[in-house]
Amino acid sequence: MKSIKMVVNEMFIISTCMMIGLGIQEVLIHFSSGMSTFEMPWYIPLTIPFTAFVCSLPSALLNECDGLNKKQIVVRVILHYFCLLFVVTSCGYMFHWYSQVLEYLVIACVYTIIYGVVWLISWWLNKRDEDTINKALKIIQDKE
Amino acid sequence: MKVDIKKVFSKSDERAEIHVVTVTEEIQSAVDLLENNRRSIPVINTEETVMCPLDKVYYIESVDKRTFVYTKNKCFETRYRLYELEGLLSYEFFRCSKSMIINVKKIASVKAEFNARLRAFLLNGEEVIISRNYVKDLKGKLGLM
Repeated sequence: MKSIKMVVNEMFIISTCMMIGLGIQEVLIHFSSGMSTFEMPWYIPLTIPFTAFVCSLPSALLNECDGLNKKQIVVRVILHYFCLLFVVTSCGYMFHWYSQVLEYLVIACVYTIIYGVVWLISWWLNKRDEDTINKALKIIQDKE
Repeated sequence: MKVDIKKVFSKSDERAEIHVVTVTEEIQSAVDLLENNRRSIPVINTEETVMCPLDKVYYIESVDKRTFVYTKNKCFETRYRLYELEGLLSYEFFRCSKSMIINVKKIASVKAEFNARLRAFLLNGEEVIISRNYVKDLKGKLGLM
């Protein structure tokens, strides 16, 4: 049940990030080329939660890290990044998000930025937890 | 919870009366403390079974299907499995990973680590890792959620 909850949570987070990434991309296209309309095939909105769902599945790589040292975790994170890149590339090919190499490179860049931003947010939240937890520990810890 | 303290003049008159809807873990821990009946668990010390007070326990770890209880300077084995101990332990204990239960009161500080896990520095200088899946439980124990 915990795993299902985790996958669903991640699916929503990734979907939101993909929508934001798509929005930013279209803003840049609008201001660079003056394009005022944005068209997409009927199935594109469905491809975003589908891709997000498939992207959330490799998170199991990062959940079972008990007993691993920092180097091993870094290797897993790199593996996770390439796993997701493979998913994004495959979904992009299936759903015709790109037709040229340049378009694919843009998508890969947007994906990499989203990946980095998610890690940064996660690190910031963890740091905030650290401070809050340390303050609370001072109140209850034994005096030895 | 409202707490009323009335001063008495004789040791024999000292008593605590707790009015609750249900006896929660926190209430039970308060009762144990007041009764000076420190909860303890049986451990093996040189082939002899002794009772180890829970307030001396830093953490409990399961290794190769054997369970070890760590105090400040000593390590004892216990016949209980980790999942069995979870039901016996008081409110201060929480599971920090698949194979470890830790006493929150023995944590000096924590440090954020890679992959959203925390490194806990204990009062005796030891370090343990709190897995990312269990950070929420720690926050719950500290009343942060």
